[in-house]
Amino acid sequence: MTTPLLEVRDLRKHFPIRGGLFRRIVGQVKAVDGVSFTLAPGRTLGLVGESGCGKSTLGRAILQLQRPTSGQVLLHGEDLAALTPPELRARRRQMQIIFQDPYASLNPRRTVGQAIREPLDVHRIGTARERAKRVAELLDVVGLGPAVQDRYPHEFSGGQRQRIGIARALALNPAFIVADEPVSALDVSVQSQVLNLSARLQREHGIAFLFVSHDLAVIQHVSDDIAVMYLGRIVELGPGGAICREPRHPYTQALLSAVPVPDPQQRRARILLPGEIPSPARPPPGCPFHPRCPLAEARCRETVPVLRSVAEGDGGRQVACHRVPTRPA
Amino acid sequence: MAGVADEPLLSVRDLAIEFDTLDGPVRAVDGVSFDLRCGETVGLVGESGCGKTVTGLSLLRLVPEPPGRYAGGSIRFGGRELLALPEAELRALRGRDVAMVFQEPMTALNPVFTIGSQLTEVLRRHRGLGRREARVQALALLERVHIPEAARRLDEYPHQLSGGQRQRVMIAMALSCGPRLLVADEPTTALDVTTQAEVLAEIRRLQGELGMAMILVTHDLGVVAETCARAIVMYCGVIVETNATAALFAQPRHPYTLGLLQSVPRVRETRLAELPVIPGRVPDLRSLPPGCRFADRCPRVSERCRAEEPALTPIAGGGQVACHHPQP
Amino acid sequence: MTAGMARNGDGVAVPATRRTSLWQTALAKFARDRAGLVGLTVVALYLLVAIGVWFGWWATEWADITGAKWAPVSAQHWFGTNIIGQDIFQRGLYSTATAFEVGLVVAVLVVVLGGLLGATSGFLAGSWVDEIVLWTMGVVDAVPFYLMVAAIAFALADYPYAMHVAMISTFWTTTGRFVRGEVIKLRGLEFVEAARALGVGQAAIVLRHVLPNTLHILLVQMTLCFVDAIKAEVVLSFLGLGVKDGMSWGLMISESTLEFLAGHFNNLVAASLLMFGLVYAFNMFADALQDALDPKRVA
Repeated sequence: MTTPLLEVRDLRKHFPIRGGLFRRIVGQVKAVDGVSFTLAPGRTLGLVGESGCGKSTLGRAILQLQRPTSGQVLLHGEDLAALTPPELRARRRQMQIIFQDPYASLNPRRTVGQAIREPLDVHRIGTARERAKRVAELLDVVGLGPAVQDRYPHEFSGGQRQRIGIARALALNPAFIVADEPVSALDVSVQSQVLNLSARLQREHGIAFLFVSHDLAVIQHVSDDIAVMYLGRIVELGPGGAICREPRHPYTQALLSAVPVPDPQQRRARILLPGEIPSPARPPPGCPFHPRCPLAEARCRETVPVLRSVAEGDGGRQVACHRVPTRPA
Repeated sequence: MAGVADEPLLSVRDLAIEFDTLDGPVRAVDGVSFDLRCGETVGLVGESGCGKTVTGLSLLRLVPEPPGRYAGGSIRFGGRELLALPEAELRALRGRDVAMVFQEPMTALNPVFTIGSQLTEVLRRHRGLGRREARVQALALLERVHIPEAARRLDEYPHQLSGGQRQRVMIAMALSCGPRLLVADEPTTALDVTTQAEVLAEIRRLQGELGMAMILVTHDLGVVAETCARAIVMYCGVIVETNATAALFAQPRHPYTLGLLQSVPRVRETRLAELPVIPGRVPDLRSLPPGCRFADRCPRVSERCRAEEPALTPIAGGGQVACHHPQP
Repeated sequence: MTAGMARNGDGVAVPATRRTSLWQTALAKFARDRAGLVGLTVVALYLLVAIGVWFGWWATEWADITGAKWAPVSAQHWFGTNIIGQDIFQRGLYSTATAFEVGLVVAVLVVVLGGLLGATSGFLAGSWVDEIVLWTMGVVDAVPFYLMVAAIAFALADYPYAMHVAMISTFWTTTGRFVRGEVIKLRGLEFVEAARALGVGQAAIVLRHVLPNTLHILLVQMTLCFVDAIKAEVVLSFLGLGVKDGMSWGLMISESTLEFLAGHFNNLVAASLLMFGLVYAFNMFADALQDALDPKRVA
């Protein structure tokens, strides 16, 4: 049994809704509502879900960019949620984030070199000369070359900016990176280049990734394990291959069937879900998926299903659904 | 007169569209030709900057002028030359004969008017209906695109609807006058994947029922594969390949089409260690290479490719490809 | 291989363009704006006049009686003389310096005050600090400008900078609101979040990532405020609430009310034209600057 690099325990992030004359709290948006999982060193957990399911908030809550409402985030066994701001700033060397929007994630008034050197300056790593060497090396690693370090972000294409963002995230040699939709804004041919780059860097540096995306095909390509989120909760968690081959949760099944396949010969039967995703401010009682679920029955409307192992031989697959039977070992 | 009956619904020939920029004019579309028959669905597919959206907009002559300019070619629709049509006739044509659905339904709908008033306005203007009659028709349209509680939705504002429902309203509006051609520009790109599946199913069903022709502009090869009978692949302002969808996906002939198809991540039985990639990046439209625009990124490149731009030529088994050395 | 492209191991072509910051791009854009350049040239001429006055190169006899009452335009008195025989040309030049002095002092202080308060309240949006700043802005904006100025002028009695204080204490709200909005936008942008994720401290985030991205707003606000201050100075001086010792276009226009009845318009025309020229040129310059600095159009 290897010790996990990261362990998330019952994490919740609720945003207050204020209303009325005195801006009292009139409700809660439960963006993340009780999420638990573990991540081993050098592995990738793919977090997939549709807009508003809380996947981006979860990534930020883990990194304490948004302080969680409750729950624990253990990195190397230490609870990040309990740290003071200065302690937390010191721990930021070990964890980094790559953003979705390559246009918003770089300060337009600072050069590429300044952007990549900033983390080294902040954590006082090495001498000025060593920092300069490290910046040049990082730019080489992401395939841009050290010559570009005096340029400004607007001179680069979306894919190149994403490489700059990756170099910045790598500067501190983190053990863990949250990649928040890092290729969603990119064209197909650029997307594959960036995905290959991040896969290579992960292999070479043994970085663990939490890879957040709405695109199941991208998630399956990059992930060892996949977690499917719906309305603030994980509804299915397990090895990527098994989940894509044989999804167990009705939502995962619908999601998988909805992915357009670039092959006219291979048309799958599509499960069309009725209705829309409910607002996380007013989640339905019971299972959050029951209003759209083709299998829903009485108990689904009353009790929230917990994420539980469905079978021993299923590679540690966990499903949160009343209708999926627990198979004996 | 014999030719009129055989003439396709839409015929685009050598279309060239330029944009004025600070660094001089840039050709976003450079010699695009294709035909569309009644009731046909064609996917116009390519990466950002390839000219697919501008081509789509030009079919309603909606390219903003200036900075845009029609620099040459012709667009014939139903026997009429769109590039020579006066603005008044174009306005009558838009919405009635040719309709458009945009990517972002929130910005395409006016936020201060109700859904009902925006739908009835179109119906009254193009079909000359009375107020009451238009409302009955509007309700029927919303029901046709399967919007739940359609009667209530008529009096709601765009922001009260979800993204998927807004896109259904846009489709209802586009279909309100029974157009012969629908141009859909990335209609499902802003939507979630489960919503996208529903909206695409809706579009396919309506297109079949109404027998209208459709051009689907998209970057998503999967959407084309599932929706269109024929596909046109664009790169850097030109068409590089066109064929029946089944043939194009089964046997892509242009190296760019092949590269694009291979580099799309898809749900597979086993994970790939690496995705196949197209090396390099799209050239700047302001400094295109002299020969083939794909030459710098092409695995099959030869001296000829760098000197001479390939023309779109027919290939065995249907379709056309613009390549000196097409894939076998 | 395309000329001007460099290729690296990963097959990523990087454009071999010049290294340009957003400021350099903006400068290049401004240099192509003919109206803006004309405006800037005219403003520079006015500035030269003002500098000459400050250094005592010209317009030194503005207060002296150098000719006859209401002398006509002549080689000696280019714009004629006023009701007591002072040279209108010299007085007009001297007033240029006054205008620049008021415009610069007010514009700089307004931008500093508005920028600081706006940035603070934007960065702390939703907190009590923000509430107080917003409330203050609301109160200041709710009082009509000239009433406010009159009140301050009375309260400060004969303090020579009463007019400046009045303008600064009312003009800052516009800048403050703009900066607050921009900071709120920037605060949510990913590069600010990235800085936090890298462990950058709050103060460094504000100084390195937030404030430099509001400088273009401050610069444009400063030019607009300069024009507003000059116009307000003329009106206030005309009303007797402005310049106390010295000369200004407003005082010249105020003087000319005594001369209308006698059919002498030299004072009025000279002051109006000089003011119009500066304000118009400055507006042309400000428009061009705004276009050049607009980050949406630069990028």
